[in-house]
Formats: sequence, C-alpha cells, structure tokens
Amino acid sequence: MRLSHGFVRGETLSCIYHGWGYAQEGNCLRIPAHPALTPPDTIRVATQHVEDGDGVIWISAGEAAAPPPRLDGVAPLRSMMVEANVAALEAAAGAKAAGGLLDHSNDGLTLRLLLAPDGEARTLMHVLVGEDANPTERIAASRAAETLRRAAERIRSGGAVQ
Amino acid sequence: MKLYDYVLSPSCYKVRLMAALAGVKLSIRPVDFHPGAEHRGPELMALNPAGSIPILEDGDLVLTESSAMLVYLATKAAPQWLGNDTAVQAARVQQWLSFSHRLTASLGAARLHEMLLRPGNIDALKGQGTAALRELEAGLVEQSIRGQRFLASDRPTVADIACFPYVALAPDGEVSLDPYPTIRLWSRAIRGLDGFIEMPGIHRLHELKPEPVPEVGEA
Amino acid sequence: MTRNAMIDEWYPVGLASQLDAHGRGTALMGEPIEVRCGEDGTAKVTGGNGRVLPTCIRYGHVWSSLGDPKKPLFAIPEADQPGRRLVDVGVVRVRCSPLRAVENFLDIAHFPFVHTDILGSEPHTEVQNYKVEIREDEDEVWATQVKFYQPQAAKSAEGGITTEYMYRVPAPTCSILYKTCPPHPGEWDVITLFVQPLAEDLCDVWPWMALFDDETPMTDLIHFQQTIFVQDRSILENQIPRLLPLDPGMEIPTRADLTSVAYRRWLKRHGYTYGAQLVAQ
Repeated sequence: MRLSHGFVRGETLSCIYHGWGYAQEGNCLRIPAHPALTPPDTIRVATQHVEDGDGVIWISAGEAAAPPPRLDGVAPLRSMMVEANVAALEAAAGAKAAGGLLDHSNDGLTLRLLLAPDGEARTLMHVLVGEDANPTERIAASRAAETLRRAAERIRSGGAVQ
Repeated sequence: MKLYDYVLSPSCYKVRLMAALAGVKLSIRPVDFHPGAEHRGPELMALNPAGSIPILEDGDLVLTESSAMLVYLATKAAPQWLGNDTAVQAARVQQWLSFSHRLTASLGAARLHEMLLRPGNIDALKGQGTAALRELEAGLVEQSIRGQRFLASDRPTVADIACFPYVALAPDGEVSLDPYPTIRLWSRAIRGLDGFIEMPGIHRLHELKPEPVPEVGEA
Repeated sequence: MTRNAMIDEWYPVGLASQLDAHGRGTALMGEPIEVRCGEDGTAKVTGGNGRVLPTCIRYGHVWSSLGDPKKPLFAIPEADQPGRRLVDVGVVRVRCSPLRAVENFLDIAHFPFVHTDILGSEPHTEVQNYKVEIREDEDEVWATQVKFYQPQAAKSAEGGITTEYMYRVPAPTCSILYKTCPPHPGEWDVITLFVQPLAEDLCDVWPWMALFDDETPMTDLIHFQQTIFVQDRSILENQIPRLLPLDPGMEIPTRADLTSVAYRRWLKRHGYTYGAQLVAQ
C-alpha cells in the first residue's frame, strides 16, 4: 500500500490499511494492532530528502550535490501531467529547454515551465509565472499552458505542428 | 422524502450526501440494483420508466435526475448551497451541474465496467473521463486564482456535490487522480465539511480526528 | 514448466440464480470459458476449445474446474441448517491477485481504518492473541478464538460488541468466516468469500452468506456486505507487489498476521502459486 493513500496527524504519517504510523526519519512509531508494542527500529520506510524553495517542493534522488536552483522573479501557478516527452513540448513551444526549464511566450505573457520527465512518454510540467502577475494574467497563463499541452500531445500522436 | 437508493451508486450518494450536509432526514428504500436488477422491475419502472436510480419521492413530486434532487434539497433546507448570489455564480452552478452528466457517462460507466462487469468500450470511457477531469482541474485552478476553493464560489454549492462522487471514485474505473493536484485539494475540502458522509470507495479522513489513546486489552 | 497445482480445484463461475440459456462468457486462470443453462436445466461450462468442464451447483453458485477435481467441493455443513437465510451478494471485479483477496478477508487489523465505524473503530485497534493451525485431516487453515471490538458487527447488531470469529480456508481461493450471531447465541453466522481467478492479478469475487436473521430485508443484507467488500476493493487494487509474496522477507508480519502467515505457508506447501510470487523469481 502506498503511504500517499494514508493520513497525517501531527508529524506522523500513517498507512490507510492498518494504521502503522511513521516518523519523519522513516522509523515506525506505532502499530495499532499491538498498542503496547514499541516497534523495533528495523521497521522503517524509505525516506527522501525534501526541500521547499520558492513554493516548489524539491526531492533529490540520492545525495543532493547542491541546494535546489533559485527561481527568482517567478511564482508557481499549477502542475500538469503532459502525455508527451520534453522534445514534443519544446517543439510546441518553439524553444529549447535549459536545465529543465523551458520558457514559453504567448500573447505577451511568459510562462516558465519546470519539466520533470516521467518515463519516455510523459512529462510533469510545473507552470511558473511572473510573481507580480495579476489574477487575469494568471488565468490567461493557465489557459496558455493548456493550449501548449494540447499542441505537444498532438505532436506526440503524429499530428502536425500548429 | 423517500429515496430509492443503491449503496454503491455515486448518483444515489450525491443525494444522501446533500441531505446529510443540509440536515434533511431521508427515508431510504434500498433497491437491489446488483445482482437483482430491481431497478428494471415493474415497481420501479412504474415510477421511473427510464429504469435508473436514484428516484426521490416527496408527496406528488417524483424526481429521477440527481441534479434536480440536489436543487430540491438545497432549496428546501439549505438555500446557501444553491450558489445564486450573482449572475456569474448562478451560471457557474448550472455549467457544472450540466457537466456532471459527462462524469457519469464516462467515469461512472468505466467504474461499472471495471467493478460490476457492465458492458462498455473501456478505453473510450477512460479517455472521455480523463478529458473531463482535465476540464475540472483547469476550472478549479482558475477558481483558486480567483480566491475561491469551490466550483462556483468560495463556499460549496450543489455543483460541487454533483461533481464530487464520480470524480472521487474515478480510480474504481482505473482512472488515476494522481495527475490532478487541484482536484485532490478540492476533494479533501469537501471530505472535510461538517456533516460529510462517505460511501464505499471513499475512505474516512482519519486526520480529522486526533490520535486516539490506544486501549490496551483486557486479555 | 511445472503443472499448475491449482488447476484441479473448484472455482465459482457464476450465480446459480442467474444461469440462462444464452450463457455468459467469463474466464478461469486465463482461459475463456462459457457458463450456461443446458436444455436439461443443469449448468454447462465449456472451456476455450469447447471441451466440457466439470460442474456443480452449491452455495448459490455454479462451480467449475479446468482440471480434474480429486475431491467434491468442500463442505459447509451450516449451509444446510434449517432457518438460515442464504444471501447471494453478487460479483465484484477486483484488479488484484486472487490470493491477495483471500488474505485480506482473513485480516482483522485493518477494520478500524478501512471499515471505520462498521467493523472497527479507533481506539479499539488491538488484535488479541488467537489460535491458528493447519488441520492436517481436512487439509485446511483454521484461525479460532479471534476477538475484535466492532461498532456495528452485522446488519442485525445494535451498537458495539466484542465479536468472536473463526476463519477457515478450505481451498486456495475460498474462505469461510464464522461470526458471532447476535439473534442466535450459540450459533455462528457464515460469511464466505469465493474468488474466481481470471488472471494472476485479476479476479471476480463472489461473497455469499448463510445467516440467522429473520428481520433484516434481503436487500439490506446484500448492501451491507457489498459495502464492506467495496471498502476493501480500493485497498486490494493498490497493494504492492500485486502478487502475493510467499517467501518471508518482503512484508513484515506481526502476531496479528498469524492467519496470513499460515495461509501463505499452506499455499507454498501445496504449490498453490497462481497469483503468488516467490523471492527466487
């Protein structure tokens, strides 16, 4: 059972199936079926190093060599799953990604897209916009990101660009 | 008010949920939808020739569309759930009430196929369900930019109740909710409402209760 | 390749009450089969190549086998006891290993978290010691003296009680639960889980019950059990790994899991590995 189906009380993450609770370090704190038992230290779940920077949650695969990059001047808007790879997104945006970041200009708006490939054919796309964008601009940016996704997915399924 | 009800039907659950949130007591008449197909039997067909449930009966009034039942319950007992303060809000409520039928026809049909072996083109149903979830996600993102947590307003309306069940149960039809962070936030906001009730497939939010002091047994 | 030791077992393939002449296409362990009512009124089951498969009707269901069953279907003597109501709960499909479906049925520690306020509730989460054995004469797994606090143990139960259970596994994909019966002290309600393996990671589950309860309408009894099983369904579909591990090491059992440990050991001993995985793989 994935712990993402579970629940958080205080600083304890518990499994939805049998309620086993885990501390931030991954060690098991409680086994509800045996309330008197102190769980042995050998019962633990894998943990990842997590950092919250500029409104984006970062996880490092293995030991992080450096802190996450700063995203100056932009603020996160939304995250979207795209059924296409980074190359299709680049083709749709008419720009190249650098360091996992793709800039996409549309109608005077610039979207900064933070791309995380999920396998060969999917990309998790975090959409960032200028931190001083007003609500109207932010809604326009969200719609522009939808349009970009449609274009990238059309390219992926063999359709023409534009 | 009498609800012809099936415990595993998300459309029936909409009505039970709205009634619970509005503080209306329903008289439940369980229908043996599966395996008995009682909804296709003479008694229920006489009430609803379309052969569908839920059916809500209140005196002379017989309703067979769940959106109408939500509006009826809200108007009678909890008018703040109607979301008709402004023209924009009222229009958004109608928009999502109509949209909710697409969820039933896609995610609902996929769930019936995967769980209760009903016929259907599962790939097409899942594709339509995914398209509907993307629209809902985009709508909720725009609402959150407007500072509103729910589909038509900053407070929940009948539109949220009309859309919530088939969305929350999408994984029953093998459609994952992992790609939709804003839908998941909205879903948690609904599940955390005072008076919220569950249905099978929607688990209790155990975090809403504090960590209990365990009772170590008598044995 | 070794012969699948589960091939000669009986499996549920449909409700006896829904047999008709049109027939219904389904599957057993990857092989398409058809179940229909023959002209003589008896159940007919045919395999993928049209061969006639063994058939019997028992406990509300049609049973069949891809192989050559060495024994008749296991006995549930209580099923023939006068005064019981027999409840066909109907099929629910689950994307999980058929063995995982049975193992979950044998587990009580999940009641407070998955069947909240019905079969269990916090803080009453403790699983007290109980007895587990593999009965060599019958070749069945049994767990007895299982006790658990339940807020609403059955449709006929008013308020919370400590319920006593016995669990029995007479076949690799079938389990029978005997449960305290509030209206008839001294008798046990019988709740079964009959699992039809469609594939190693896909099954049709046919719960069935034989209860002492003259009060509750039949539809309420069906809905109660469907509620419980569909609460389990999303858990079952998300278990990792999908196949049931038979070798120790991948999952950590506690005292509460002794029934599961015995079930896995019994499966391994018989080579009942359809839907299972071994570490060696």
